[in-house]
Amino acid sequence: MSEILILAEQRRGELRPATLELVTAAQGVRRAGDRVVVALIAAEPQALVGVASAAGVDEIVTVPVAAREFEPDVIEAAVLALVDARKPSLVLVPHSIDAFGYAAALAARRGYGFASDVFQLQYAGDTLVATRGGYGQKISIEVDFPGKSTVLLTIRGSTFKPPEGSGSPDVSSFAAPAVRARVRSVEFLDPPPSDDVDMTAAEFILSIGRGIGEEANVPRFRELADSLGATLGCSRPIADAGWLPKTRQVGQSGKTASACKLYVAMGISGAIQHLAGMKHVSTIIAINSDAAASIFSVARYGVVADIFEMAEALQEQSS
Amino acid sequence: MAGNQEVTRVLFQDFSAGAVRAFYAVGYAAIAVFLYGVYAQVRKYRRGAPAGVPLNLLPRFGSMLRIVLNHRMIKRRDRQAGEAHRSIFYGFVLLFIGTATITLDYDIMGPLFGVHFWHGDFYLWFSLVLDVAGVLMIWGLLYMMIRRGWIRPPKLDYARPDRAPGDPDYDRSFYAFEDWAFLWTLLTIGVTGYVLEALRLVWLQGDAGVWRTRWWSPVGAALAEGMRQAGLSDTAAGVMRRDLWWFHGLLALVFIALIPFTKVKHIFTAMGSLMFRDLKAAQRLPKEPADAAYPGAQYITDFNWKQLLNLDACTKCGRCHEACPARAVGAPLSPRDVILSLREFANQTLGSADLPPQAQLDVHGKGPGQVAQETLWSCRTCMACVEVCPVAIEHVPIIVKMRRKLVEDGAMDPLLRKTLQTIHKTGNSFGESKRKRAAWTKTLGFPVKDARKEPVDVLWFVGDYASFDPRNQKVTAGFARLLQQAGVDYGILYEGESNAGNDVRRVGEEGLYEVLAEGNITTLSAAHFKRIVTTDPHSYNTIRNEYPDFGGQYEIEHYTTLLLRLMQEGRVPIARQLKSRVTFHDPCHLGRFNKGYDAPREILRLIGCELVEMGRCRANSFCCGAGGGRIWIPDPVGAEKPAQNRMREAARIDGLQVFVVSCPKDLTMFEDALKTSGLEGRFVVRELIELVREALQTEDTAVAQAEA
Amino acid sequence: MKILVAVKQVAALDEDFEIRADGRDVEADFLIHDLNEWDDFSLEEAVRIKEAAGGTPVEIVAVSVGPEQADESLRKCLAKGADRALRVWEESIGGSDSIAIARVLAAVARRESPDLLLAGAQSSDHAFAATGVATAALLDWPHAAVLTQLTVTPGARTARFRRELEGGLLHEMETDLPAVLTIQLGINTPRYASLRAIKQAAAKPIEVLSLGDLSLGAGDVGESGSLSHVRRMFIPEKGRAEMIEGSIEEQARRVIEIIREARGVA
Repeated sequence: MSEILILAEQRRGELRPATLELVTAAQGVRRAGDRVVVALIAAEPQALVGVASAAGVDEIVTVPVAAREFEPDVIEAAVLALVDARKPSLVLVPHSIDAFGYAAALAARRGYGFASDVFQLQYAGDTLVATRGGYGQKISIEVDFPGKSTVLLTIRGSTFKPPEGSGSPDVSSFAAPAVRARVRSVEFLDPPPSDDVDMTAAEFILSIGRGIGEEANVPRFRELADSLGATLGCSRPIADAGWLPKTRQVGQSGKTASACKLYVAMGISGAIQHLAGMKHVSTIIAINSDAAASIFSVARYGVVADIFEMAEALQEQSS
Repeated sequence: MAGNQEVTRVLFQDFSAGAVRAFYAVGYAAIAVFLYGVYAQVRKYRRGAPAGVPLNLLPRFGSMLRIVLNHRMIKRRDRQAGEAHRSIFYGFVLLFIGTATITLDYDIMGPLFGVHFWHGDFYLWFSLVLDVAGVLMIWGLLYMMIRRGWIRPPKLDYARPDRAPGDPDYDRSFYAFEDWAFLWTLLTIGVTGYVLEALRLVWLQGDAGVWRTRWWSPVGAALAEGMRQAGLSDTAAGVMRRDLWWFHGLLALVFIALIPFTKVKHIFTAMGSLMFRDLKAAQRLPKEPADAAYPGAQYITDFNWKQLLNLDACTKCGRCHEACPARAVGAPLSPRDVILSLREFANQTLGSADLPPQAQLDVHGKGPGQVAQETLWSCRTCMACVEVCPVAIEHVPIIVKMRRKLVEDGAMDPLLRKTLQTIHKTGNSFGESKRKRAAWTKTLGFPVKDARKEPVDVLWFVGDYASFDPRNQKVTAGFARLLQQAGVDYGILYEGESNAGNDVRRVGEEGLYEVLAEGNITTLSAAHFKRIVTTDPHSYNTIRNEYPDFGGQYEIEHYTTLLLRLMQEGRVPIARQLKSRVTFHDPCHLGRFNKGYDAPREILRLIGCELVEMGRCRANSFCCGAGGGRIWIPDPVGAEKPAQNRMREAARIDGLQVFVVSCPKDLTMFEDALKTSGLEGRFVVRELIELVREALQTEDTAVAQAEA
Repeated sequence: MKILVAVKQVAALDEDFEIRADGRDVEADFLIHDLNEWDDFSLEEAVRIKEAAGGTPVEIVAVSVGPEQADESLRKCLAKGADRALRVWEESIGGSDSIAIARVLAAVARRESPDLLLAGAQSSDHAFAATGVATAALLDWPHAAVLTQLTVTPGARTARFRRELEGGLLHEMETDLPAVLTIQLGINTPRYASLRAIKQAAAKPIEVLSLGDLSLGAGDVGESGSLSHVRRMFIPEKGRAEMIEGSIEEQARRVIEIIREARGVA
């Protein structure tokens, strides 16, 4: 009988959805008698208890801390104290930008078993086995943690579905040690809405990637998106190069196009950072001239074709 | 002729001693100014870097003399200008020799040895020849004036594409002022020469010897008749003659003094430029000196004296401006304007006694006389400018030299930068794994020998585009089949082959070029073959002309000569005559660079194609636009591309069925341009190999295949 | 001021790669090595800090934990503006995970005493996104990850930066120095290192350190020093999209059909 501790992630007073995905992940490795516990580490954790009370959660621990927003020293001190006290066998953290900033530090300090960006976990007998990607996601790597009484894993987003329904977990609290924040939050800056597009509300997105070649080709695809009635999006390299505003970037760091149900990716090879943002979409059509592009393993439909020829043909057919 | 013994022209006749002395004083002053001018020019050239050119003065001088005397370079592609200039040239030369002869007689032979020869029959023939010379010169000058003032060919318009109208150095109309001043001055000197001649005759009509032989100066005599008819008396003529003499003399002396400071210096700088020209100028680029602090040219003093001399040789004829494909599609590049800018810059900075501080010698930028990055990056290194220049200016090496510095500073288009990094990493510009280089061989159905492992007769250097680009792979497979059918013992280097480096070098990444060339040469040294054939003109150019500088000397031919030989030997059996109406696009690196014009045409004839040439063909072929790394640089949105321009030229041929190419980049560029210029369906673009393969099939086989 | 930049030479898979006989890694023959894309950005950031410092001397030291091959990537760093390069390697380091590598980097940091340690937010091969932050924990230094903007003045006790969060949101933060900061793509535009510069950098020495030089033992690295153990590597069963075949027109027609169906449902 052991504890699976989920470290919830909150920002600006809201619980981030990835937290609930971890509840589902925990159910997958929960054995008889195990308890799934969600730790809410925030300035006002009480406010998040309701949202965090998903089906499958046995206990919620509120850990009030001085920091309103993410400050690694504060979070780490709280977690280390919590884990020292409760000794969970498994600690789950979302593989998020925040986690980039503290998960490995926890493991390094205490020597927990550690793996990041895990998309599959199960027990093989008594051994916990986690699967992650390697060599640019072209390979899968299975790892285990011999001799580790506590294992900390960061879990890939959009891999597990959040549980349906809510539960009534026990609620307790934990006093975290006060600690000086050497890295301090100053403020948030929303990206300037340069072209009034709200990717989070778009249901049909047409995204372009490096395959379009030159900036001069962007208008061609904008035209296509318009004729098809889609919102134009792009992968990171396009936004980094300034060919489209950052607001149009879709992918792990870009806008989570949460309302998107239909996604057409043209000239996108399928780098994991991009795919991570789009895996929840029910219908993905990938168009790429490279038959070996990784996106074809994620998409529902694939077309191996020259994207410019396809753009023309689609334009013709849609009118 | 009896009685002509004493006929001569008395110099300074009736001039006071003081006047003669004054004349000589002005003369010496003019010569001094001239010499100072020459000194200042030479000082300027010496401020450049050493050229490392083997001097070979005598053969070079001989070659230059031949070119200047037959004027073949000026006559090429502009016969009228060539003929007119030849007139001026010969007229001027003869008049100059004439004056020199007089000086020889009067100032040297006479006083020193007491010998005079300028009299009698010699004098009379001399007078006739000079009169004719004067007519030649004046006629040439008049034509040039009509050309500049009335015909006004576009290439003589000094509007520059590399500056916007508001810029301080946009306006080059002051050059036009200099052009007209030159023409008018020479014309005036010439005309006043005849008038002077006539006035002298009228003045000395009383002297029987002079009057009797006057028709040996026909123009002067005719004018003299006219003057007498008009009632001019001999005394009046004498006065006019004296005044006009001073005018003519001073004008001529001022002209001479100003030679090194004006356009007139092209007389010497053109000869110098021609004398020191590099016959392989753009085909074989120079290595970077090992001890350089930085590569390429940052400052004007980084150019060598030969390049600085090139800058002064330009007479703004505009032929390079006209030939340049970048300029033709509105890119901010005109080879003429690069040369003129650098010339102005050199005169500005290197012309004075003291050298300005180094910071002011930077030739990169948008200030007056500087060359902008976008100008340098617009160049396709197609060599049309170098090829057509009558005074052997080498624009392309100058541009590449400046690019070398830009590359070192990372100042280039992000896509180009990425491509260079890709080539470094994978040895090809497609970013594909080396192992995939020979993947095209899998479609053949028969094995292709690995020249690294077994000896072959012919090593086929395939090239990047031919290996990796899907459309070109079809052509490559086709060539393999031809070789197989012809029973040629050939092999390829498989993964051992890397990008030959031609375009990398022309982009200016000399370090990467060295890596590629040295790598390929190492691989080639370990392989066993007699000679190399390649389907890629770019690879052909660099292996043929540049690899020897890196220790790789090979016998290499482009596939067109090999294929022609095979066809002539009957090893490639032609089954039918295609009877298509075709035009042939000479690839820059095969045609203009390496003079490979004839083999492809002969092949087309052998397979029964009716060849109709485009206006810009052979040495004047119009670049597809992909060279100089431009295929790795995005084109500006909305602008015409050189390939589209070429397609439109081809479309003017009535009934054209096939646009034939023999270079992988040409195939890619033109097939694309055919679509984007809206001409799809009018004619098709085909590689020569594809046409030959078609001719191998009988009508029936071809039909059956098409239907399959 | 001294900036230590930790770089990794990553491996990408070549065509037709094969898994090693023991199933725990890919055959070395099929690996193509290059400098980690993220490290290009962190090195560039260090060079920009140096250039912005004007007269104040800033020393940039590049360090990599890897075999001799990694010298190639270190030379690129030297060509781009690093002053010195260090490499640490011994057979026993093979098979190390991020934390074991972090232990080595922390030892190097103790030896060099930099004011700032920059690393890439993740590597393009295994993407642990852990090494930099783990190093900080072992040094007990402040740390932050995924920076897209950084302002550092030599001699100052703090630095300001922004990290890019999901959705494009930026989080402005401040950190005490010395600190470990991991850098995200797009923070700057890395400069081009010409082949000439790289060749000239080949003349600069790369100091190679052993574990002993860093007071570390074999138990600190390799599998014994790692927090996970690789059971096997395998080529995943790829879910495969339903491929639409045919001519361009046929494919386009089918795509439009799918779009219409999906939208009708949506």
